[in-house]
Amino acid sequence: MLFSLMFADDATIQVIKKVDTLPTIAVEDASTDYDDTFRLRFFKSIIADLNVLSIFNVDRHHQLALFDDSDVNVADKDMAYVLRYKLEQDDNNALAVSIKLFNNDNVVFSKNYKVPKSDVYMFVSHAIAYDLNEFMGQPSVAWMKRKVIFSRVVKPKESEIVLADYTLSYRHVVLKGGLNLFPKWANKEQTAFYFTSLSGAKPTLKYVNIKNGNVKTILSSDGMLVCSDVSEDGKHLLLTMAPHGQPDIYNYNVQTHKYKRLTTYSGIDVNGQFMGKNKIVFISSRLGYPNLFSKRLDTNEVEQMVYYGNSNVACSVHGNYVVYTARETSNEFSQNTFNLQLISTNTDYIRRLTATGVNQFPRFSRDGDAILFIKNYKGQSAIGVIRLKYNKNYLFPLRFGKVQSLDW
Amino acid sequence: MKSIVLSGVVAALLVFSGCSSKEPAVDTQAANSAQATTEVQAPATETVSSENSVVDSSTNSVSMTADEIQSKLPTVYFAFDKYNITPDMQARIDAAAELGKEDVAKSLNVKLEGNCDEWGSDEYNFALGLKRANAVKKALVADGIDASRISMVSYGKSNPVCTEHTKECWAKNRRVNFKLLP
Repeated sequence: MLFSLMFADDATIQVIKKVDTLPTIAVEDASTDYDDTFRLRFFKSIIADLNVLSIFNVDRHHQLALFDDSDVNVADKDMAYVLRYKLEQDDNNALAVSIKLFNNDNVVFSKNYKVPKSDVYMFVSHAIAYDLNEFMGQPSVAWMKRKVIFSRVVKPKESEIVLADYTLSYRHVVLKGGLNLFPKWANKEQTAFYFTSLSGAKPTLKYVNIKNGNVKTILSSDGMLVCSDVSEDGKHLLLTMAPHGQPDIYNYNVQTHKYKRLTTYSGIDVNGQFMGKNKIVFISSRLGYPNLFSKRLDTNEVEQMVYYGNSNVACSVHGNYVVYTARETSNEFSQNTFNLQLISTNTDYIRRLTATGVNQFPRFSRDGDAILFIKNYKGQSAIGVIRLKYNKNYLFPLRFGKVQSLDW
Repeated sequence: MKSIVLSGVVAALLVFSGCSSKEPAVDTQAANSAQATTEVQAPATETVSSENSVVDSSTNSVSMTADEIQSKLPTVYFAFDKYNITPDMQARIDAAAELGKEDVAKSLNVKLEGNCDEWGSDEYNFALGLKRANAVKKALVADGIDASRISMVSYGKSNPVCTEHTKECWAKNRRVNFKLLP
């Protein structure tokens, strides 16, 4: 008992069994406009979002209903909650969605939504799930409404940078032509991003204001240049660059345009992540294989963070937590397995977050509630969402080329 | 019931899609034009036979000789997850250094392009590609090539010459290419 209380809030402890059962919810479609294909697509999106909330036991049957009926469908009488929605197309082709949430035949919550075009329907679905979660008094899932930015290689030396929702079902190409990689949000508001252009004489870091489309050049380096992390206030960047042929981590001050070298090891130091104001976590080959290290910026003290696995190749940090990609097989001649692991600087536990396939690009949500990642398994790609608190993983299939890098 | 319009995320996306996305695309296209010229040479270096070189050398001696050197520059391959140079690859680099000392080549610079197979993560792979290019650079400098003539870029796994999921294919992608620059 004491043990469970002590570690109740530690996300590296895996909750194997939950005693309380989740309330049931059914979804009733009362749409009057749009064809069956679109209605079903919207329904599936709602079901997926409700599942990701992890607070309901979601009934997956597509049921029809009349929006103004005061009773829920007979089949749904035993459900704790019933969500009824109606899709309507207005004169300007905008998509209007009305919802009602029933609890014991009473409407306990209702709201209307509107987006200018039906092809961004998934944002309405995410907003509905967000609102229901708020109504149920659960910790915020504001990350559902954030944008994902990612790069994909379309052919050798040519890529696209794409904006998407968290399920990557909405995709909008914002940059194409040339080889542009490693997009990274420049601020909390997601109004600008950094990326690496490999199309000029030297690798160059650029900044795009997505409100007006302006592109600014930040700096160039021989060899490689990647923006690995942006500080909470957006004023500092952790860059991996190699002005003298040696990949090291640098702290770049956005206001003064000056940078300071933070690592000096002669092998590989990459993937710097801020951990608070005084520490960075990074990947280094200083033991002869890639592994996670931390470095205090005031004392320069370097510490090995993981004593498990022989190839820990990428990481993302939130608070005291670090999620990292561990290559669990190092086979030159066959498919390799990459799994995600979670550690905390406060405990010695390692929590394994995935079990099969190639799991890469882990990125914490800004509030640390969820982790986004890309999974490749048996020739299929998917974007995954891990809800740490609920010990649940959700996968959304991807039907386009391979993701090179992503940020959330 | 209150009615709201979803503004935040969606509006930002739509505004962007409506008017501003063109700018960066145009910008990068323009910046890319120089690169596009050098890219055209890349496949040529792999496929141009010595017969073509001979025919062309009678028409334009200066540019052709540069082309000829480019066509003779080797590809340096690396072992899985490694950036050290093996003895057989050292011989290739020595030969490349000799070509770099030819009279016509002395005014030319070289760009070393480091590449990786599909295994490994995003940033670490880029660093591995760079360390490969840097290993070749050091070997060239040791062979007497001026370091100021050499620039480097890593493409990680974004510039594969082979996209099948086989060990032969992965081995072909763990490489450094030489690109002559004017």
